[in-house]
Amino acid sequence: MKKYLLLVALTGLSACHSGYHLANRTANRIGVDSLTATADTSVANFLQPYRQGLDRTMNEVLTHTTGRIEKGQPNGPLNDLLTDALLQQASQRYGKPVDFSHLNFGGIRNNLPEGNITTGSIFEVMPFDNQLVVLTLTGEMVQQLLNHFAAGNKLVVGGLRTKIHDGKVQSVTFTNGRTLQPNETYTVAMSDYIADGGDNANFLKNAIRRENINYLIRDALIDYFRQQGKSGQPITPVTDGRISIE
Amino acid sequence: MAALASNRRQFLKFLGTAAVIGSVAPNVWAGAAGKNASLTILHTNDVHSRLDPFPMDGSRNAGKGGVARRATLVQKIRQENPNVLLFDAGDIFQGTPYFNLYKGEPEILAMNRLGYDAGTIGNHDFDGGIDNMVTQFGKAKFPLLIANYDFKNTVLDGRTKPWQVFEKDGIRVGVFGLGIQPEGLIPKDAYREMKYLDPVEIGNDTAAKLRSAEACDYVICLSHLGYKYDNEPKVSDVVLAGKTRNIDLIIGGHTHTFLDAPVVANNLDGQPIWINQVGFAGINLGRIDLMFERGKATLTGQSVEVKS
Repeated sequence: MKKYLLLVALTGLSACHSGYHLANRTANRIGVDSLTATADTSVANFLQPYRQGLDRTMNEVLTHTTGRIEKGQPNGPLNDLLTDALLQQASQRYGKPVDFSHLNFGGIRNNLPEGNITTGSIFEVMPFDNQLVVLTLTGEMVQQLLNHFAAGNKLVVGGLRTKIHDGKVQSVTFTNGRTLQPNETYTVAMSDYIADGGDNANFLKNAIRRENINYLIRDALIDYFRQQGKSGQPITPVTDGRISIE
Repeated sequence: MAALASNRRQFLKFLGTAAVIGSVAPNVWAGAAGKNASLTILHTNDVHSRLDPFPMDGSRNAGKGGVARRATLVQKIRQENPNVLLFDAGDIFQGTPYFNLYKGEPEILAMNRLGYDAGTIGNHDFDGGIDNMVTQFGKAKFPLLIANYDFKNTVLDGRTKPWQVFEKDGIRVGVFGLGIQPEGLIPKDAYREMKYLDPVEIGNDTAAKLRSAEACDYVICLSHLGYKYDNEPKVSDVVLAGKTRNIDLIIGGHTHTFLDAPVVANNLDGQPIWINQVGFAGINLGRIDLMFERGKATLTGQSVEVKS
């Protein structure tokens, strides 16, 4: 807990209509944890039925991990895992290979724990009801997309490796062997939120084609992790360093 | 039982600390003339549906937060001082499966139980769509204050208020809310025909009205603008503070900023106002204790900071 006492010259800070003026102000940031407070019984009881409802729907164990899987900048094990998962699921649903996948960094809302990955864990990572969409872009627009997110060190992609200098993408290598050519076209699986211009990516509204595949990002992830679980292999937190900053 | 007893001990230890803090202010002001009145402001921001504490999974925030614990803290503080106002600076919704399953109902009902006095609207409060806001905000026993969102021609029209005045022991506290630019942040079909108005202009007008026409002694802005932006020309709490007058305290949100203590910013008149924000997920409860004196301010003093 942090405590502060501040005595200040507050003259003029408050007017005198009803006759009071501020004379002193102190502040205190109270950490809320088991040390500072026990749970209030009536609020805990109120929550109980809601929590039971959650437990019924959120406790399916999909797979497990050998350690915490966390997001990072520019690279993180969670960045790689989620974009690779989306690329695979999107390609399956789309019926043909998609060139790469993209996620907005701010849209990854939590990390994955060590041990059991439940449906609830995926809801924590991806609480939004965003749809996966497939955009067809020119090479030039792909470059613009990558630069837009690289500028804020928030580039999260699957299916390609890239080198970045001064917030600008210098080179791109697609996992499927393609090279980035300004006038060729590429497909990318991404959130409808970004495709609609979210995170100020307004240029994506000029995509050559936009196809809805009727697949919630979260559902795609749940399907992927359930599939992983069936393999019996736990997920290990690794990143392949696909974004390199020079 | 052992765990419970231990918790209780630690809780009592905490109360001991709080009692010490409480005794500081009266001593300091023992010599001051005129009738004093005190007011305690409690606040949260970006709680993001975190009703339960974070799970004990080894993560940075493991075991922190929890609305039932916050209830205990708020109750205790209210017992110590009857003049308490409890506010939230937006993004009540979204972030745990509670929201996906129940669309915000337990969040709002829990806030009713804690006795929140007012809240403002964050961008993620639109995540269930504007119709869901009507449904869930309709369950709130506290007003949603937002001065720069014009909901005319939407279903939310008339369901929010720009500001409200609270009176405690004769102290008039004016409170208003400001929301962030929705474009590029909130899907258009979630906010529909809502109009975003300039927070600096509206903030200035509203604060002036609260100070003058409403004769408020203290003016608080509940803001979901975000604390500060380094490389973007976006209106933040820091920008708002510098471009307005008549605001005494900005309780902020959106950027999930963990301020150790309120930041002092000079307003348009060069007066040192406070900006505070306490992280996210209900990990912290912000507490600001204000002491008021009758009459005009005559005192000039200097800043002294005591940190422990």
